[in-house]
Amino acid sequence: MTFLAPAAAVLGLTLPVIVALYFLKIRRPTRIVPALHLWPKQIRDRQANVPWQRLRPSWLLFLQLLAAAVLVGAALQPVLPAGAALARHSIVLLDTSASMQATDVSPSRLAEAKRQVNTVIDQLGPQDRMTIITVGPTPRIVAAITGDRDALHRALNDVSASNGPADLSASLALAAGLVRPGDDARAYLYSDGIVQPLRASFASGLPFPVEYHRVGVSGENVALTSLTVRSSAQSRAAYLHVQNFGQQPRSVSLEWRADTRLLDVRPLTLIAGQSQDLVLPVPGDATSVSAHLSGGDVFALDDFATAVARTPRAFRVLLVTPGNVFLEQALRLRNDLQLDVVAPAGYKPSAAYALTVFDRFLPPALPDGPLLVIDPPSGSSLAGGQAVGIGRVRAVDAGDPLLANVDLLDVHVARSQDLRLSSFGRPLIASLQTPLLLVRDEPFRQALFGFDLHESDLPLRIAFPILVQNLSEWMLPPSVPSHSFHPDEPVTIVPESGATSVSVVRPDGSRRALGGGGIATFGDTDLTGLYTVEQTVGGTVARSWFSVNLFSDPISQLKPVDRLTLPPTRTTAVQATHQGQLEIWPWVALAALGLVAAEWLAFHRGI
Amino acid sequence: MAPLLEPSLLRRLEALALEVRRAVSGQLGGERRSRRRGQSVEFADFRNYTPGDDFRLIDWNAYARLDRFMLRLFVAEEELPLNIFLDLSGSMDWGKPNKADTARRLAGAIAYVALAALDRVRLTVFADGPTSGGAPYRGRKAAALLFARLQSFPAGGVTSYEKLVWPIGRQRRGMSVVISDGLGEPGMEAALSALQRAQQEGAVLQLLAPQELTPDWRGDARLRDAETGVEREFTATPLTQGAYARALQQRTDDIERAAHRRGLRFARLSTSEPIDEMVQLTLRRIGLLA
Repeated sequence: MTFLAPAAAVLGLTLPVIVALYFLKIRRPTRIVPALHLWPKQIRDRQANVPWQRLRPSWLLFLQLLAAAVLVGAALQPVLPAGAALARHSIVLLDTSASMQATDVSPSRLAEAKRQVNTVIDQLGPQDRMTIITVGPTPRIVAAITGDRDALHRALNDVSASNGPADLSASLALAAGLVRPGDDARAYLYSDGIVQPLRASFASGLPFPVEYHRVGVSGENVALTSLTVRSSAQSRAAYLHVQNFGQQPRSVSLEWRADTRLLDVRPLTLIAGQSQDLVLPVPGDATSVSAHLSGGDVFALDDFATAVARTPRAFRVLLVTPGNVFLEQALRLRNDLQLDVVAPAGYKPSAAYALTVFDRFLPPALPDGPLLVIDPPSGSSLAGGQAVGIGRVRAVDAGDPLLANVDLLDVHVARSQDLRLSSFGRPLIASLQTPLLLVRDEPFRQALFGFDLHESDLPLRIAFPILVQNLSEWMLPPSVPSHSFHPDEPVTIVPESGATSVSVVRPDGSRRALGGGGIATFGDTDLTGLYTVEQTVGGTVARSWFSVNLFSDPISQLKPVDRLTLPPTRTTAVQATHQGQLEIWPWVALAALGLVAAEWLAFHRGI
Repeated sequence: MAPLLEPSLLRRLEALALEVRRAVSGQLGGERRSRRRGQSVEFADFRNYTPGDDFRLIDWNAYARLDRFMLRLFVAEEELPLNIFLDLSGSMDWGKPNKADTARRLAGAIAYVALAALDRVRLTVFADGPTSGGAPYRGRKAAALLFARLQSFPAGGVTSYEKLVWPIGRQRRGMSVVISDGLGEPGMEAALSALQRAQQEGAVLQLLAPQELTPDWRGDARLRDAETGVEREFTATPLTQGAYARALQQRTDDIERAAHRRGLRFARLSTSEPIDEMVQLTLRRIGLLA
């Protein structure tokens, strides 16, 4: 046992003072009583004002001396050595990913981790500092380099689990930023295991060692990992993927609902590691469908899945072409496009089309709106210069989102118009000789191919439908994406034209208004479930939906990892850990309080 | 000097009488039934005439029927000898109202009831020894003298109940009333036994001050005995006050048991009670007065 405040020992002088007070004699007033023999022989020194008298043994004296001694002991702030080995700066990395909600340890993995961290906080010495960083989808510092244990306890108790994954790399980078060269720091990762690969930059090591403290015991979990609704001309159906991530066979019950109507309840039995695909009916009038597994596993977040069943609003697209099967097929791949194909001779301008595609044809007056022009005829307003032979094709900016997943390595173009002098827009795909694809945002989102698709092998490559899809989604973004998002994933919402207000109703009923009239990014998607987007257009409210589901195999794979691959330590300081300290003065002070209460009781009972 | 008892109280006392359980024998005629046969209107018995008897008592009607001289005997009515033993020791000179003052007034009231009934009253004051209160008093006119005598005795000295044994033993069969706080050491046992031996009926009246029934002080003190002057350092706490209350109650219970065992009435009185209430309520309740 050591003492944090040894100077408080001087308070021990109060003990002889108490004894000295007992040596003093009390000045007692004389009272005449009729019969002295009836009064018990009781004498007690309570107040001394006349020196001196013989010290009489007294329970009160004993209790007062004992209470004073214990109080002096509390003032010395005694500490006992605790189990943890602490550095001067302890960095607690607390996993708040969705899997920490698992209840295989009571009450939950996160609560158990917080309990362990609270214990470490209690063991901090007066010189020790601690930083607490939550390791969630976005790392967050909840307490920075402080020795205030109350503040640390408060900050820790306010932490809650997210519904998303853990970004350990970002958290370690954040922690590394808090450590100065030469600091005696050590990180403690409280987690059930994070299997995400770390950044390559950590290969050179971190300026502190990282200790992994595993939380959780069981990996038994049956999860819904995918739910999609597919529509065909004849019917609609939902495809559900169920998987047992545990080591034991499990029997669960699947509830299948359309909106709130219960459609089906199916028992499922899955052996260890088995997955099962189910095709489930979707009523024509359903807005959403949802699946719920009931069987009482330790992780509830992946026992529920929901999907939007309502077909999104279709855009009308006009393809004006002398004939282009590749382009027609590529446009038809998007199920929210209603495609009309006409020959150039049959073209009539119409405002009913959201997108017009001119293939080897261009009318004298271009329609106002999104436009995709392919190989405009010479002499037209968008025609380029004399055709040139083309060599190697390349992306002007490989990171451009319009070229996402578009592989141009094996794409060849025989001949193209010379667009070098075109003022149409910025080049997206080019060759050494000329830009091949131009795009512009103003006055409308429009794209211009300088070559005939038939003079290229691009339509034969997988890159073509992807490129057409990217361009069409750029020009005609769906108002609200109907597919499922992961928790905390941002959702782009494009208001309907003329929408005066846009708001999102979250699964818990809370409403978030989106400001401005343009495209908005909605980020409050931490809850899983069905989100409703409400837009007021011309006095009526139009509703559309999107869903947020966990759908994450790494998170549903609950089995805690025994050993984590953590970055090495780039030692910049001597790691001098010391034993944690457990302060026991509150208990000593409590004992002193009990003694004072006993003394008070003894005094008033006249013992 | 203020009168011992107010005239209005004296008038109310005249309506009371000492209640005697047994017939008594006095020296002078009075209003009490005597164990002896005497002259009154109450017939008692017949007996044969013997020479020397008062021939005025011969029942001539009986002579006519029986042809024998028969004497009619009547119950004699005599005075009641009442002995008042009044404790005026040092412990009685204590309390508010003062116990000795209250005891004088109580003794005066009981004596007045007896004097008004033509009973004979003998007063004995005691502390560390008995002191006679003078010749017996008889008749209402003697009350003033008796009251003056009561007021003339100062309180003081150590209580000695044992020294009462001799004067009690000299008393003729009658009624005795002991007025004391009962706190002296040793206790009243010997005096009460003497009363029994002297064929005294009567009462023991324990008179205490409210301050000694419920001590109203706490804390440290130097206690001094009112009689002996002995001192002792003391700290009053709820615990000690409880012990004192139990000791006092024990003393009271001992006196009450000893009195009842000897056919004596017992009452514990507080000086906070008015004399009128003591007499009218308490002494009537225990059957000393009627």
